[in-house]
Amino acid sequence: MAIHFIADHNLEALLERLRRYGELHAPVRGDDGVVRFSLLIPGIIPDLTALRTLLPPKKYLLHPRETILSYTSEAGYQLPVEISPPLIMFGLHPCDLAGINYLDRIFLGDEPDPLYAARRSATTLIGVACTPDELCSCQQILSPLKALSDLFLSNVEGGFAVASGSPRGDELLEGIKDILEEQEGDMPEDSRRFFGHAVSEQPRHELDVTLPEWQEYADKCLGCGACSICCPTCYCFDVLEFSGLDGRSAVRVRQWDNCLFKSHAQVAGGMSFRKDRAERFRYRYLHKYRSFGTLHGIPSCVGCGRCRVVCPTGIDLRPLAERLEEVHHG
Amino acid sequence: MRKLRVAIAGLTACSGCQLSLLNCEDELPGLLEQFEFHFFPMACSPALLEGDYDAALVEGCVSMPHEIALLQELRRRSKYLIVLGTCAACGGVAALRNSDERELLRRMVYGQNAVAAETFNPQPLQSVVPVDAVVTGCPPEKDELLRMLTGLVRGALPVSIDYPVCTECRMHENLCLLTERNVLCLGPLTLGGCGARCPSMSVPCEGCRGPVPEANLKETFEIYNQKGFERQTVLERLRRFCPEWKL
Repeated sequence: MAIHFIADHNLEALLERLRRYGELHAPVRGDDGVVRFSLLIPGIIPDLTALRTLLPPKKYLLHPRETILSYTSEAGYQLPVEISPPLIMFGLHPCDLAGINYLDRIFLGDEPDPLYAARRSATTLIGVACTPDELCSCQQILSPLKALSDLFLSNVEGGFAVASGSPRGDELLEGIKDILEEQEGDMPEDSRRFFGHAVSEQPRHELDVTLPEWQEYADKCLGCGACSICCPTCYCFDVLEFSGLDGRSAVRVRQWDNCLFKSHAQVAGGMSFRKDRAERFRYRYLHKYRSFGTLHGIPSCVGCGRCRVVCPTGIDLRPLAERLEEVHHG
Repeated sequence: MRKLRVAIAGLTACSGCQLSLLNCEDELPGLLEQFEFHFFPMACSPALLEGDYDAALVEGCVSMPHEIALLQELRRRSKYLIVLGTCAACGGVAALRNSDERELLRRMVYGQNAVAAETFNPQPLQSVVPVDAVVTGCPPEKDELLRMLTGLVRGALPVSIDYPVCTECRMHENLCLLTERNVLCLGPLTLGGCGARCPSMSVPCEGCRGPVPEANLKETFEIYNQKGFERQTVLERLRRFCPEWKL
């Protein structure tokens, strides 16, 4: 079959070309060794071999802390005016693409979130293939989430095979056609293959509240929030309102929250639905592996392994998931 | 609209928390539109308690009899008593040597023959009076101070933070000093809200905001231990800002 091929030596040219379409962001390894999605300045080489950035790409779509409403006594509550410049995210691995697919279902569903929607529609996703390491679990749970992207690059001898996944991708292909070569050859094994499967109908184990694991995990947990901050699909946020100095204005902000925090399930009067960390741990598991509401049955874990990497005490939910879920070892 | 009457007092401490408020130069004119800082000895004289206050903000520990009297007086006169800073919240640096004999400390500081004032172990405000809210920090963050004040205008007390320094440190996508650099960072045990000010500059968290609720000391100490830090080293570091830590 014919593939669009781009040679390794043309990668710089490709990146330069992509900059014409928007601000180019890609995984970059900092002097401290941390790989972060950040602005790709010409001359800087993106790190396409790193399997995971510290924060997932959700940071571009749902900011850690942002104003969602502003209030003045004259105008009442108003949505923020934000101009979303075109953003090209280059080097997204399949798990991160699936993570964005999950966030899309949350924030672009029946009540689209205006800030998310504006940023998302200004974003072009360019995926790059990878091979799971021992911390990944994409290969363990076949996910119904789709690893959708505008362009997807798969490693082949001497370069990448480039495939379009959208009209936007077709437009980009057209724009880079002079640095592409048409080659005869087989596509390598698709590293997106663990995503886009039908939801398993098989009954799963009840998440028994008395399982000793909840307490065991809770005892290990520092409650630092790293697991969900670094999770590509954790979207819980807290909403706070702060009044202005003039006494006539206010801003309402949302900031990333975490289901392991004491206040997460706390309501007026100090009551809490999940008083202790063990209950909160069960809730986290439930959300990651079963989900609820309109996304019931769709695991929100995309297997990126970030929670395992960043947990100071090395908490790993996989052994429990292997027991309780229909897992498929890849 | 009536201005809120506020009293601001400093007990045993460095006055840094009150200074943080005075350092809000850009906002002070705006604050003066909303507040009457009626009793604020550090900033205005004469300073005499008079009538009732909408809120009293108190910095520092209680360590002398007249401080107990002042604190109780402020409590009686104020609708809200708000703890200002780590010393007032949990002892802080003022309580650093609470495990030593007072007499020994007195001689170390004032010499053999000096007659020192009557003092006792510095205590947080809550050991003397009930408090309504806590704005911690050494000193508190400017934003937190201003939010607390503007909230009071609307009759609201500040929302208490329940996450550790690590949370904001991760949001900033920082390298973890504890797990990656093997540095004694108190981030997992320390109340957040500072925007991970120190670890963001590669300086380990010193714990200046006091303990986070539900701190998991056992597991965190396990990590420190694995990194080669002795129990005593960890304890000394922890107790620099909060003498209540036990290990």
